[in-house]
Amino acid sequence: MNEARKTQHTLAMTIALISWAMLFATLFMGYAIYRSSANVWPPMGFARISLVLPTISTILILISSWFCYQMKLDINRGQVAPAQKNLNLTLALGFAFLVTQTLLWRNMNHSGVYVSSGIFASIMHAFTWIHAAHVLAALVFLVYLYFQFKRHAGNADALWMKTENGEKFWHFLGIIWILMYFILFVF
Amino acid sequence: MSGGFNEIHQEPTTFISKYVFSFDHKVIAKQFLWYGILFLGIGGIMALLIRWTLAYPGQPFPVLGPLLFPDSAGVVPPDTYAMLFTMHGTIMIFYAITPILIGAFGNYCIPLMIGARDMAFPTLNMLSFWLALVSGLLVIVSLFTPLGAAAGGWTSYPTLSTMIGSPGSGQTLWCLAIFVLGASSTMGAVNYITTVITLRAPGMGYFDMPLTIWGLWLTAILNAIFIPVLGAGVILLTLDRVAGTTFFLAGAAATSGSGDPVLFQHVFWIFGHPEVYILILPAWGIVSDLLSFFARKPAFGAKATALAMTAVTVLSTLVYGHHMFTTQMSPLLTQSFMTLTMTISIPSAIFFANWLGTIWKGSIRFHSPMLFSLGVVFVFGLGGLTGLYLGTVTTDLYLHDTYFVVGHFHYTMAASVLLGGFAGTYFWFPKMFGKMMNECMAKIHFWGTMIPLNGIFFGMMMVGYGGMHRRIYNPFIYESLRRLIPINEMITISAILMGAFQIVFVINFIYSLCKGEKASQNPWEVGTLEWTIPSPPVHHNYDVIPTVKCGPHEFGNPKLTNGRDFQYQTEDLVV
Amino acid sequence: MNVFSFDHFGHLFYRLNAANWFSLSAPPKDISTNGHLIDYLFNYTSYLNIFYFLLVCIGLFGFSYIYSAKRNKKAYYTYGNQKTHLIITAVIGAAVFLSIDLNITRLSNNDLLNSFWKWPDPKTEKVLKVEVMAQQWMWSFRYAGPDGEFNTKDDVVTNNDLRVPVNTKILFHLTSKDVIHSFFVPNVRLKVDTIPGRITRVWWDANTPGVYDIACAEMCGTHHYLMKAQLTVYSEEEFARWVGAAEQVAMNTNDPEDKNLQWGWKWEN
Ligand code: HEA
Ligand code: HEA
Ligand code: CUA
Ligand SMILES: [Cu+2]
Repeated sequence: MNEARKTQHTLAMTIALISWAMLFATLFMGYAIYRSSANVWPPMGFARISLVLPTISTILILISSWFCYQMKLDINRGQVAPAQKNLNLTLALGFAFLVTQTLLWRNMNHSGVYVSSGIFASIMHAFTWIHAAHVLAALVFLVYLYFQFKRHAGNADALWMKTENGEKFWHFLGIIWILMYFILFVF
Repeated sequence: MSGGFNEIHQEPTTFISKYVFSFDHKVIAKQFLWYGILFLGIGGIMALLIRWTLAYPGQPFPVLGPLLFPDSAGVVPPDTYAMLFTMHGTIMIFYAITPILIGAFGNYCIPLMIGARDMAFPTLNMLSFWLALVSGLLVIVSLFTPLGAAAGGWTSYPTLSTMIGSPGSGQTLWCLAIFVLGASSTMGAVNYITTVITLRAPGMGYFDMPLTIWGLWLTAILNAIFIPVLGAGVILLTLDRVAGTTFFLAGAAATSGSGDPVLFQHVFWIFGHPEVYILILPAWGIVSDLLSFFARKPAFGAKATALAMTAVTVLSTLVYGHHMFTTQMSPLLTQSFMTLTMTISIPSAIFFANWLGTIWKGSIRFHSPMLFSLGVVFVFGLGGLTGLYLGTVTTDLYLHDTYFVVGHFHYTMAASVLLGGFAGTYFWFPKMFGKMMNECMAKIHFWGTMIPLNGIFFGMMMVGYGGMHRRIYNPFIYESLRRLIPINEMITISAILMGAFQIVFVINFIYSLCKGEKASQNPWEVGTLEWTIPSPPVHHNYDVIPTVKCGPHEFGNPKLTNGRDFQYQTEDLVV
Repeated sequence: MNVFSFDHFGHLFYRLNAANWFSLSAPPKDISTNGHLIDYLFNYTSYLNIFYFLLVCIGLFGFSYIYSAKRNKKAYYTYGNQKTHLIITAVIGAAVFLSIDLNITRLSNNDLLNSFWKWPDPKTEKVLKVEVMAQQWMWSFRYAGPDGEFNTKDDVVTNNDLRVPVNTKILFHLTSKDVIHSFFVPNVRLKVDTIPGRITRVWWDANTPGVYDIACAEMCGTHHYLMKAQLTVYSEEEFARWVGAAEQVAMNTNDPEDKNLQWGWKWEN
């Protein structure tokens, strides 16, 4: 692919990710305000969310990011077949992440943290929903990439742009999740 | 990084691919222009309904009234009034001014003025328009929902905008529409920023760009950074409305309220204040260029103007709290926001001085684009200076939420930005459509807009100072406001006049499109790149990508010998 | 004359008389000790603004006239980046900042610190404490009654009817039941938002007995425009008489079971 075109894509994706980062930054800012203005956190009547499921989610998304990175390296080297394997693994781990998120929501509901039971529950549910919605969208894109890999099996160059952008977005969501993990669940 | 990837796209052949699902930035620009003008008309009619109600409360709106409000014999009912100003504000800002200034001029001017064949990402560009259209449809649909459209003001502060205050689906649709439009604008912004950085013609440094491009580029940067903030805000508001979260709910009426309605105000204005500069930066850019073009003189201190606009862009991110003085933020925040707000007048005064410097000792041609640009200098002077009363905490305690604020922001937006948009339309129309607009009608339109406009907006500041607060259906419920009836009537008559003169514009636009005199390649005798190619340009704009050798404002160089008083940017500077 | 009828088109001449409008649009009578600070600052800003705007107009209209293509065939070729040009531009920028901005910021800060934020202390001076509850679309005012405590049986509660003694500092604590409202008293030049879940405060005093308007200034729904209350400023004796009688009535008739009456909060100072 043309070098100048690559620069354009890198630049545009960077700007787009800055935009997205602002969206999540706003959420975190809101969180900081709610948390710092509350006397106790979690508020009276709520327990901390168990760390088991969030930790599993974190591990899943971290490993998936690693495979995703390998996939990009393969494409850069012009090897579509190994990239395909790494893509499959990324996809599988990504869906597993969504499953753990669903379990997390169920878990929260079981322990009385319903969406509508105040600000703590609102944050825990809504922020993870918003992130999960992005993960879902990214997975849809990765599935599309899966078919593109099939179609352009012999032509890594044609796949460069989509792989590169998809990979960046995936890492971005990983980073956001890790921030959420530490800020919402651990800290 | 200039001189990037600039391929020639295949020219579309079918009607659909040429005019509907077009990738061509010139066609998308025109689509945005039509879209914007249409909404300007809708928003304007809403403004007239608002004005009529304020001057003649309880009287049926002539002609349209009985059709629109048969239940009340043509009188605007109070709940409809709230929807009217909410949708008027929303439509004017997001669906009229944004598409015209950013969608239309951004798309049209950026590639042409920097010597590119198209935007960096034509598909993204097309998507951006179609998302904007979806959003526009959502807004229109929201007008016809059972409980009516959103009615909590364009700022839609919770808890009024949550289920406590607005049970209908209108408000939810409003949130969705804004979110979709935000996505569209962000796409546009990513595209504009990348295009300006990577596709400038060889030889074109940042300070060789016309100031229009500077304005549009800075606008795109603000868009990319701050629209997502509003995005997050409306997502949370939507969740409060439909999913039972309680981010912004509090007080006795909220059964499970432990949220914070003021947080939404912070989020809204972190976006909202940059938004007002998003709207005006393109207008400032256009005006800075046009003043130079028609004064036949280089833009005075062009570099300083560009840097001053950049300074405003940076400062605009730090002052949003001046919209919230009456919520009683901490004293420290209050005082900081006041001081920061004041600093914006330094760069503003600098480019103001540069504007006047540009026409000083010029040889001014009073064509319609120039008249409108000079008009912007006048009205933005008033609009900007009235901002100072509002930035001062103590005077704002009296003026906040009165018509003084309404007057201030109409002077800056409905006057400055709108006139800037008209200036741009008259100026680029020949390039866009290959026809000249009728100059006589344009001048009638100018004076017919400029004079009533000051009647409307100065009148608003007068009644505001007199104590009339905003968003009220019938001010004369208050005995103490009765004395303002004559001024309100004057404002309304002025608004009707101004509206009537906009018809001249619409007629001129359509007439010139069909029957206008054919435009030459360079009717205004200007040296920027878009005037080096035919009007209208061919599909791929430039057969050969031009090389830029001098700045965009080379006028009146005494050493010029070729019988022109200007130089094209593609010519070596005569020294 | 019916204000809402067409026949005042007949008075168009009177109505279109600009001198009239300027006197009509003067703000309502200032009845407070500090209101004049705001009027003063407004006028102060106006004079400076008019000065700079006149400069702009002189430039705009003057240059347009003198340097029109008809009169000035050849433009002066300059980029405006000579030293003198830069100095003039910088001086204009600095002048605007130093003359308008810094002055009004300083004045406003002084007014805030010395007056508007100088909260009266009920322990050391005579202060009337009032709690305000806003709701769609009504103002409720609560006076502490003889025991000086809020939300007790002897509290006087009025709706849309605020009565205060002249020349006494009145300290308000405000909140809202449902949506955000704003407590606006044009005659004292002050407004403050009432926000559900929060308590905001404001103080002022009135020096002229009479009857005035209180308005809701924040959009709060369809009947926002009807959310008005009446402010009555009494002489001290009249106020004492009224409030004494009202307390008596409250003691006798306040129903502890009435949910609507049970609001109010303790004051920290
Ligand atoms: C395009 C839009 C636009 C622009 C450019 C501005 C510009 C400014 N605005 Fe405005 N504003 C709005 C749109 C805009 N505003 C809107 C929409 C609202 C209300 C929203 C709502 O509540 O619904 C609002 C509300 C608003 C408020 C809140 C009021 C309130 O609700 O109580 C404040 C308060 O500080 C404010 C201040 C300012 C200031 C200080 C500037 C400054 O940028 C102005 C700087 C300019 C100058 C200072 C003038 C230039 C200098 C000279 C003329 C000097 C002379 C020069 C020579 C002699 C050569 N604005
Ligand atoms: C850029 C934005 C913009 C523009 C251009 C305008 C233009 C006008 N506005 Fe508005 N206005 C706002 C932004 C704008 N406004 C905002 C943000 C609010 C706050 C809302 C809120 O409180 O939430 C507001 C509120 C507002 C109010 C206060 C309502 C209230 O508080 O109760 C009033 C009252 O007079 C008013 C009047 C007017 C008038 C008379 C015009 C006139 O200038 C209009 C003149 C124009 C026309 C009459 C139409 C022109 C028609 C065409 C050009 C084309 C026609 C084409 C077709 C028919 C296809 N506006
Ligand atoms: Cu209460 Cu407006
Ligand atoms: Cu602002």
